Order: sequence, then structure tokens, then C-alpha cells
Amino acid sequence: MGAGPPSRLTPQAVTQEDVVITHEDVDRAHDRVRVSEARARRGTFSKFRLLWLLVGPGILVMLGENDGPSMISYAATGARFGIGFFLPFVILTFCMAIVVQEMTMRLGSATHRGHAELIFVRFGPFWGWFSMIDLGIGNFLTLITEFIAIRAGLGFFGVPPWAAVGSALVFLCLAVMMHRYWTWERTLLAIAAFNLVFVPVALLTHPNWHSVGHALVTWKPLPGGLSQDTLIIVLADIGATVTPWMLFFQQSATVDKGLTQQDIHLGRFDTVVGAALAAIAAVATIIATAPLFAHHMTAENFQGAEFAQALQPLIGRFGAALFALGIVEAGMVASVTISISSAYAFGEVARRPHSLNLPVTQGKAFYSVLFLCAATAGAIVLIPGLPLVYVVLLVNVVAVLAMPPALVFLFMLANDREVMGDLVSPRWANILATGVVVFLTLAGLLFGISVIAPNAFGFLGGK
Amino acid sequence: MPSKDKGHSAITSADQELVLSSLEPEQLAGLKKHFIPRRHLRGFEKFVMWSLRIYLLFMMVVVIYQVWAGLH
Repeated sequence: MGAGPPSRLTPQAVTQEDVVITHEDVDRAHDRVRVSEARARRGTFSKFRLLWLLVGPGILVMLGENDGPSMISYAATGARFGIGFFLPFVILTFCMAIVVQEMTMRLGSATHRGHAELIFVRFGPFWGWFSMIDLGIGNFLTLITEFIAIRAGLGFFGVPPWAAVGSALVFLCLAVMMHRYWTWERTLLAIAAFNLVFVPVALLTHPNWHSVGHALVTWKPLPGGLSQDTLIIVLADIGATVTPWMLFFQQSATVDKGLTQQDIHLGRFDTVVGAALAAIAAVATIIATAPLFAHHMTAENFQGAEFAQALQPLIGRFGAALFALGIVEAGMVASVTISISSAYAFGEVARRPHSLNLPVTQGKAFYSVLFLCAATAGAIVLIPGLPLVYVVLLVNVVAVLAMPPALVFLFMLANDREVMGDLVSPRWANILATGVVVFLTLAGLLFGISVIAPNAFGFLGGK
Repeated sequence: MPSKDKGHSAITSADQELVLSSLEPEQLAGLKKHFIPRRHLRGFEKFVMWSLRIYLLFMMVVVIYQVWAGLH
């Protein structure tokens, strides 16, 4: 049985009598047959076809993480601090995301188990529930901010909040009701590509390319030095690229797609391409709102759509509309990926069927969790008087704070020879991953110090 | 081997053959319930995990304080 080499998790005494074949298996098998056929053929076209068949989770997770709060964080960054420090900083954060996400892809391909499931079985329910609580709270808060972004973006076109939230929920239903992982992935990839709409918006602001190039090469100091305000933005930008839900989502999507050990090198390519595309969109967003900084416009009270309104005198109605649509797309795609990440984790822990290949009748628990999370988050956004941008920035900060414990689980699993066999992380990957954990922990501690002792950074030139 | 996926159309023998020949054993949904042994955590590993757990709880208190201060 099986096409690839057995992993360390392969049951030792599996007979055909043990196996119950499901439609989920049949759908996945059809996908794997196409991969095997493309791999067996020679020629450039076949190589591209193989690449086309295998990419997906990496690009989706990276463009999914360029979500509503992330794009609003980037917009706030450009408007409040310009490009000097933050362009290279954002690229650095995407490099960190590659290091982290590569491990999840490798884990999923090697073990065919989701992240939540592996944490539960290897570390036990005590640590497993800690991890699930972190994920659940983080995902729910982030989902709220996705609906904030959708509401704000559609608000630019005069759509009332209830209609914006309702249309987002309808979109979510349509997106996951395809009962086929492959169709869902391709559809969402096509929609996620719209994240690059921030590139033409940036071009419409006629950026000074010399300044952009200079900022990327020289990496100017943090404007205004260290202070609570700047640290919130710094943490929000880190939280815009590395968050716990990404770990759970990419590993589970890798498993659902059916990637194997043979696919790991193209899985890496998928992750790097996703990070590159997401970094381009993020940098473009900072460049797009940088004119607001140059014109000394305050960004204190901007919401997603208000950035678009503020940009309208500079880039026209069309450019502003594109910006608002970009915010809507970011929120819509992420609301789908984050809800699915919660549902995958629930299914893995509760041992219920969890796959996008499942029909509703066989995946009632999976789809119920997915819709319940989204609908509750959407309802909260309709509460009047929420300080939206503040909530958005804080949610990204919380995501950064929750990352170090999540990364330690990932780090230990990726180095667990009993489940990974020879695919354990190489030394260079461990050094990079340790660096990411230390960096994120220190960033969180600096934020904590700035809150507890706001004047502590005075000697560094901050406020 | 059962040939039906409950509540859905029958799975043919051709489907079974396709699945068994193209998926690795642990990719099968039905085999994912097999037992994986618990990992024994060493002292240093427990120390790191507890330290980061305390760090996270402390930082959450800081964030809650930040929100409270922001609202007042």
C-alpha cells in the first residue's frame, strides 16, 4: 500500500481489514495521482505542472496573513513613520515567517498529522490545551479584526455594517462549500492574488524610488526612538507576518492537500513565493500611505476605509477605491483561512473528521465550528463604538506575544526524531528558529517595559 | 474491508485500489486514530515551556492593563 516511503508514524501491523476508505481519501488520491503523473513525465511543461499542482498552502498562508489588521497596521506604519525604518524591517519579518512556516510544511509532509493533533499526542493534553486556548483566543480576536476590516473597507462604498458582515459570512459559506480541497484552494488563491492591488495603489502615489531604494539599503533608525507608540507599531508589524494560526493552518492544509516527503522541496518553494508576494503587498501598502506622513497628516484616528479617504486627494477616487477593496479582500480571505484553522484544530483534537474534502453531512462538527466562530466574531463587530484601529493593533500585539510558546512546540516537534525520522531540522534551521524565538520574546518584553515603565527608554532617545 | 462511506454513495473497488496505491498508509483518514506514544519531556524542556507560559500570562496582564489605561 502507498506510494511513498513509510514514516516513523506508519502503523506497524496495518492490514486491509483495518482500513475504512472514505470519500476524503478518494478525493485526495485523485489529487495524488495527478501529482505522480506530472512527476513521472519529463520536460519543462511537466515541471511547471508539478509546481502548479503542489503550490498552495504556503502562498495561501502568507497572503492570508496579509489580512485586514495586517494591512491596516502597514497603512498606519506608513502614515505615522514613513518608509525609512519599516521597509527593511517588514522584509525581515517575512524572512522570519519563512523560517517558521517551512518547519510546519515539513512537519505536515513528514507526519500527515495536523499541528494541534501532534502537540496533543506528543506533549499530552495538559500542554495541548494550553496551546489550544492560545490558538482559540488568538483566532477569535483576529477574526473580529477581519470583520472590522471588511466593515471599514465596504464602508468606503457606503455599504452599511450589517450588510458588510452579512456578505462576508455568505462569502465564507460559498468558499468552504465546495467539498473539495483542490477547488477551494484554487478559488481562494485567485481571490488572494487581489492582495497585490496595493501595488498599483502605491504606484498611483508616485513614490520617490530613490528614497525607497535608499530606505531598503540603509535601514534608518526607528523614528522618534523607542516609545510605547513605536513599539506597538513594531509589534503590530511583526504580528502582521508571524502568528500562531499560521502554524496550525499551513500544517493542516499540507496534510489535507496530501503533500508527502517527496514534495518538501516544492513546499519550500511555495512558502518562499508566498512570503515574497506578501512582502511586496506589505511594502506597497507602507509606500502607499507614506505620503500621509510626508504631508504631516495624523493617522491617530484612521480606520481601514479612512486611510482610503485620506489618500483620495493624492491618488484619486479610483486609487482610494482600490485601497478600500484591498482591505476588504484581505479581511475576506483571512476570515476564511483563520476560521478553517480553528476548525482543523478542533477536528484534530476532538478526533472528528476534518477536511475540506468532506461533504457537510460527514463534517458537521468541522463546518459548525468554522461558521460559529465566524458568525460570533461578525456579530461583535456590529457593536457600536468599538475603537477599531486600537483593537486591530492590539490584536497583532497579542499574536506576537503568543508566538514564542507556540514556536517552542513547533521547534521541538520539528526536532523530534521519533516522528520526523531523518527530516528533523538541520542545525542552520535550528539556529534561525532560535533567533526568531529570542527576537519575538525580546520584542514582547520591550513592549511590557514600555507599558509598565513608560519613561524607561528615555536614555535611548525615546519618549 | 468495508466498502461504504456511511451516508454517502458507495466506494467502488476501483476507488479502493486507487486510494491504496496512491496514498501513504498514514494519509488515510481511518488510520489517523492509531496511537502515537507520548514524548518524555526533559527537565530543560519543561523549564523552557513553563517559562514561556509564565511570560505569556504576564504579558497578557500587561496588555489588559494597557487596554484599561487606554480606556481611562
